[in-house]
Amino acid sequence: MTNTKLIVSHAPFWHNGDSLFQQNLNFFIALLPAAIFGIFHFGAPALGVLALATSSAMLWEVIMSVLSKKKMAIADMDSAIIGLLFGMMVPATMPWWVVITGTFIAVVLGKFVFGGTGGNPFHPTLVGIAILTMSWPAFFDFDTAYVSYQFDFTALAPLAALKSQGTYALASFSNYDLLMGNEVGGIGSTFGLGIIIGGIYLILKGYARWEIVASFIAGILITATLFFVLHPDTYAPPLFHLLSGYTLIGAFFLAVENSSSPVNRIPMLIYGFLGGFMIILVRNIGIYPDGTVLAILLINLVNPLIDTIRPKALGKGVPNA
Amino acid sequence: MIKRSFFALSKPRLTYDLLDTSLPSAEELAIPGTLTLLLPEKIDRAKKALIGPGDAVKKGQKLKLYDDSAPYVLSPAAGTIKGFDSYADDFGNTATYITIKPDASAKDDDQWAQIDLEQTLEFAADYLGHIPGALPVSTLTNPNYDIRTIVVTGADTDILCDTCQFVCTAYAGLMVAGAKILKAMTRADRICITVPENLSAQVDLDGFNVLRTSDTYPSNLPAMIMKDHFGKALSPGTLPEEEGVCFIRPEALVSLARTYETGHPVFDKIITLIDKGGQRHRVKATIGTPISKILSCFNVQINERDRVIIGGPMRGFATYTVHHPVVPDMDTLMVQDSDVIPEISDNACVNCGECVRVCPANIPVNLLVRYLEANLYEEAADRFDLESCIECGLCGYVCRAGIPLYQYIRLGKHELLTLRENA
Repeated sequence: MTNTKLIVSHAPFWHNGDSLFQQNLNFFIALLPAAIFGIFHFGAPALGVLALATSSAMLWEVIMSVLSKKKMAIADMDSAIIGLLFGMMVPATMPWWVVITGTFIAVVLGKFVFGGTGGNPFHPTLVGIAILTMSWPAFFDFDTAYVSYQFDFTALAPLAALKSQGTYALASFSNYDLLMGNEVGGIGSTFGLGIIIGGIYLILKGYARWEIVASFIAGILITATLFFVLHPDTYAPPLFHLLSGYTLIGAFFLAVENSSSPVNRIPMLIYGFLGGFMIILVRNIGIYPDGTVLAILLINLVNPLIDTIRPKALGKGVPNA
Repeated sequence: MIKRSFFALSKPRLTYDLLDTSLPSAEELAIPGTLTLLLPEKIDRAKKALIGPGDAVKKGQKLKLYDDSAPYVLSPAAGTIKGFDSYADDFGNTATYITIKPDASAKDDDQWAQIDLEQTLEFAADYLGHIPGALPVSTLTNPNYDIRTIVVTGADTDILCDTCQFVCTAYAGLMVAGAKILKAMTRADRICITVPENLSAQVDLDGFNVLRTSDTYPSNLPAMIMKDHFGKALSPGTLPEEEGVCFIRPEALVSLARTYETGHPVFDKIITLIDKGGQRHRVKATIGTPISKILSCFNVQINERDRVIIGGPMRGFATYTVHHPVVPDMDTLMVQDSDVIPEISDNACVNCGECVRVCPANIPVNLLVRYLEANLYEEAADRFDLESCIECGLCGYVCRAGIPLYQYIRLGKHELLTLRENA
């Protein structure tokens, strides 16, 4: 026992066992229902896009780790989740080079230029999606993307149809169909029920904050209800907004990303509500059919500002009280 | 080790352990072949030392390094000084190990027989600073503090530990006597004792103000006691002493009572050893006994890359050698197997907010750690409440990125003090 080398480190000597790998593994598990549904729904091309997006994102991470001489953190699966989310938001027919460019933008411009995991002010996936939507809007047109598919439901992207045809288009979409994924859209963003189940799992596991999700959904429902009540002929009902497009995946998986979302309770509520509010503004007043990507990027931007609303630290502000 | 629960919607809850009543009473350990005393002063080669190797020491003799030095230790046994060694703790504070070879045949020619035991603080500061339980004489004699309330930590401050609870239940009579002596010495008009609210064992203490504390960590820490029981949230950077409250261990009272009762200082420290399987052992060891003796007494095998912790799992410190001696404030020893030692990392903060939600002092740890990593200690204190930290260690316990947050904060406070001293 005399010269046994002991481990010397500092308190606390216990850890609750949580890790970045656990967090991302749980994101992965939570994303699976919606992703698997997308593969069955859109066939082998969907599997190809998901696999390519995930693997290329991981490859960019490796390349950037080597170039920037940083510790290889590929095993944390952070980039895998960025890539998977990217794949789930694009149509199954997206060409391979667009997918690779997209994950490059997401991982390199969305994450690495800000210093890697934890440093990104925006959700990396959304940075990729946003830049691609601006650069090649044609590849994000879900109506043309699935033109060679045969579906047994209305093969129109709901939000695009709403934008171009007005509320007449709403007759072809039932809330049940939207919830069960009988719509065209991103590979993993159509199956509302799967996203909700995965999202609730993530909330229960503590990896997504319920405050953000709840206030995000409340923001959508309240704002959309106001529009709908005032002009039922012009604007879609709140549930249609909630179940179509990227709304659910945005609420449960994108807005809750750690680095770009607040940590205090009141800021989380404001952040989420603002996101929901912005989505409806973009859809009802703006020119884009689906405002989710822009709305979440916008709330990412205001996050540091609103996260300064926080409780007073022990012994501050109230002398001897 | 307590792991994250499957459902983690709410913040984790760590609870204090109640007194382990299944243990037999403390096992007495014989005085070992070598005693090591830890003297909190560093060796200065330029000065002429009062003591040197080969010098004979008597039981209870006061050992000082130099004429003008204030720190001292009492030799727990008669014997000869074997040598000196220097010791540095995790913040680089240096101290001196004095090794003594006890001589069992030496007659107990009593140093203390001539000393008149006065019940004054000056006497305590002169002779009783080294009794088991570490009576905080420097706090009590500090002219800047007006100590009016003494809080005995009957409820252990760290999880897993139960030494203080054991002392309170086993030596209630001596504690009452010790409290009387302490009251006579100081200007304190109130003596309180913290007792876990669920403790079934009767703590029958005359004249004590009993404060029942919740079983949720960190409610037994001084800052939380101040807030919950005295209604005084300590303003950042202040100590309970500055509010007139001094926290002491129950064992200090027991040692005080025994010293005045017998006329001799006492040296046997009660320690709880928690082995690798979480099993507790209670031992009474002489101050200066190397930890390795206690470990071998209970057949605790130490392998390479294990960890020996002095104190509890949340606030203790890890020793680099099993030769570290028993010191007056050592309540708990804990051994961790190399397999269960959690890894720490140099990851950047990912802003998950677990630390912010778990922090009992509402510190924005996620922002604070960014400043501490960049060595911006002044900003950390001014804008991100560095000094509000009550040092519970929960932030490091929950950190998803595996950042040693508590260490960053402790280091930050240390550096801040150094900055201010040099300013």
